[in-house]
Amino acid sequence: MSQSLRPYLKCVRSSLTAAMSLSDFASQTAERHNVPEIEAGKSPEVLLNPLTISRNEQERVLIEPSVNSIRVSIKIKQADEIEVILVHKFTRFLTQRAENFFILRRKPVKGYDISFLITNFHTEAMLKHKLVDFIIHFMEEVDKEISEMKLFLNARARFVAEAFLTPFD
Amino acid sequence: MAQVNWRLIDVDALDPDNAFPADLLTPQSPPVSLSEIQGIAQHCRQALQRGDQEGALKDALSYPPYGGDEQVKELHLQTVLEILSSIKQAEMSPILQRLHSGPEGSETVDVLMKYLYKGMARHNAGSTPGVSTHATGVSTVSGQGGREYGVAPSRGDGGGMSVLLSWHEKVVDLAGTGAIVRVMTDRRTV
Amino acid sequence: MSAAEVNLLFHQRIADHSFSADGQLLAVTRDSRVQLYKRSGKTLALSDELTGHDKTITAVDIAPNSGKIVTCSQDRNAYVWELSPTGEWKPTLVLLRINRAATSVRWSPDETKFAVGSGARVISVCYFESENDWWVSKHLKKPIRSTILSVAWHPNSVLLAAGSADAHARVFSAFIKGVDQRPAPTAWGERLPFNTVCGEFQNRSGGWVHDVAFSPSGNALGFVAHDSSVTVVYPSAPEQPPKAVITVTTAGLPFTSLLWSREDQIIAAGHDCHPMVFEGSEDGWQWARNIDDPKKAALGEEKETSALNMFRQMDLRGKTTSSEDSSLKTIHQNTITKIRAYEGQPGAITKFSTSGVDGRVVIFSV
Repeated sequence: MSQSLRPYLKCVRSSLTAAMSLSDFASQTAERHNVPEIEAGKSPEVLLNPLTISRNEQERVLIEPSVNSIRVSIKIKQADEIEVILVHKFTRFLTQRAENFFILRRKPVKGYDISFLITNFHTEAMLKHKLVDFIIHFMEEVDKEISEMKLFLNARARFVAEAFLTPFD
Repeated sequence: MAQVNWRLIDVDALDPDNAFPADLLTPQSPPVSLSEIQGIAQHCRQALQRGDQEGALKDALSYPPYGGDEQVKELHLQTVLEILSSIKQAEMSPILQRLHSGPEGSETVDVLMKYLYKGMARHNAGSTPGVSTHATGVSTVSGQGGREYGVAPSRGDGGGMSVLLSWHEKVVDLAGTGAIVRVMTDRRTV
Repeated sequence: MSAAEVNLLFHQRIADHSFSADGQLLAVTRDSRVQLYKRSGKTLALSDELTGHDKTITAVDIAPNSGKIVTCSQDRNAYVWELSPTGEWKPTLVLLRINRAATSVRWSPDETKFAVGSGARVISVCYFESENDWWVSKHLKKPIRSTILSVAWHPNSVLLAAGSADAHARVFSAFIKGVDQRPAPTAWGERLPFNTVCGEFQNRSGGWVHDVAFSPSGNALGFVAHDSSVTVVYPSAPEQPPKAVITVTTAGLPFTSLLWSREDQIIAAGHDCHPMVFEGSEDGWQWARNIDDPKKAALGEEKETSALNMFRQMDLRGKTTSSEDSSLKTIHQNTITKIRAYEGQPGAITKFSTSGVDGRVVIFSV
């Protein structure tokens, strides 16, 4: 792990902890409904200022807080075309299975690769600090996952190339 | 029959009772003119040249241009970022400590926190106009002349960001998560 | 300080709780029901359940003298529950006339009225109409612009404070002709027709006002907002700007509830999962100490870990604590939702109770 990852994750952690102060809040606009206000966007006074944490141009986290829900969007590092493809496939794989993955949003926010939607019902059913841990864990794992997949792909490509080129030796 | 899809009309938006007055959301702040903020920028730069980073930071954070327009806010952000990056890592904590214990200290630190988040938000918005991230990524790699995985791409703009991140860490150590909460709730944006 | 009494009732959110005056009966909200617990020896045992609401109950309050229970819910209704001679709780529907969720309810100190805050941007002040034999309400409307998050009564049962999601704490007159006696003039106002706005206060850094409370004497108003602050307002005279508005910002997460334990002491608790004590007067307020301090608890229990593990944790997770333990160091494992007086007279509270999202009700000594 590089030196600049630690302050980045630490910053994300403290920002998430601060943003995840959610409470139950019934909708002001729809009668007898309880909707994530950050998605509804109907009552400006219950939305807060969004926070952006960036490590560099390509890696950043956007936290959009509201009274009863927050939206966390992550831009995963993509250094070259292969990583772009890998990240795209990987996040697609996850979002297609979003119903088994309670806090995952089915569609990432524009400009980001993957988004989570955490409501007060999640912070009630699960421990708040564990949810923060989970997102931090996800962020470090996804980097590792992508780089492993890329290494594997490269190794495979090399093997294939070698296999094809051997007869001409 | 007019070509209006009645089902798509948002009736809630038309109810005057539901409209939330914009002035209640953003409290009125006195307007700040460009020349005023240029004066402060000039003043801070002089303090920097004298080697008085702490004084420069304090002055810059004491006059956040809440009532200014985008241009004014952008200029002041640059001033603050310039001061922040001129302060060495080892001096951050002592300077913060003195700022925090001074009069209106927690307010000053809250303002600093706002600039840290704004700085991080601005960098990635401004750095890739019209260029897709994909293209930037490739050019960075070829520019570095190697594929040093996991290190090379982050060198591009990572420098400025890591300064902000280490400032952020120091501020949280001192003022806690409360400072972050106040960045979110405060409608007076920088 | 004696040890806190911890009651883990269930694993669901408790939005609000209320003890009877003698501390023998506890009412807690659980989804769309209210559960009543009776004290039997050291523990609390489930004795009854009030069902009737069909959405999440947001608040419950037991009147200290009459023992009547009032509940309100996101289904826009409120019920007053009375114990019949046969030992059953009989609900009476209250005509709130609101079309959004009810968010909080409190009996006035003289128990002739109660106030219900709601998402319909009104406060219903309810009183009993004996000729029709039901509870009716009058609406406090202006100048509320958003959901009311909390209501609190002045000791004179006429003034009502309300915290709202539009970042304002307000003081209203809830004087109802024929129910109330004309109150003695206070620093908040002299002539008080219904819906007089006696004060409107806001924090510098904004944030929804989660809870409000009058001081025991009624001469000060405290409120907690989402910017992690506690604010105390001292009014000077009617129609005049207040003598002092003191805001204490903290380094922690926002508070959701507060309680005046003495005229010079406030206890606040919220997302940080442990109560904090603030002390002060008109000249200034400051943080005094933590109750159930997580740092103190951590010192005793810190596990022995290898240096390698510690650095790995710092590197990987960006945190320094090495324990893989999933529990917090505080008694409450999740946000504290409400804090209430448990023992002592107003102005000299010796014990208080807290309820949390983790389904615990804890009784602390001040």
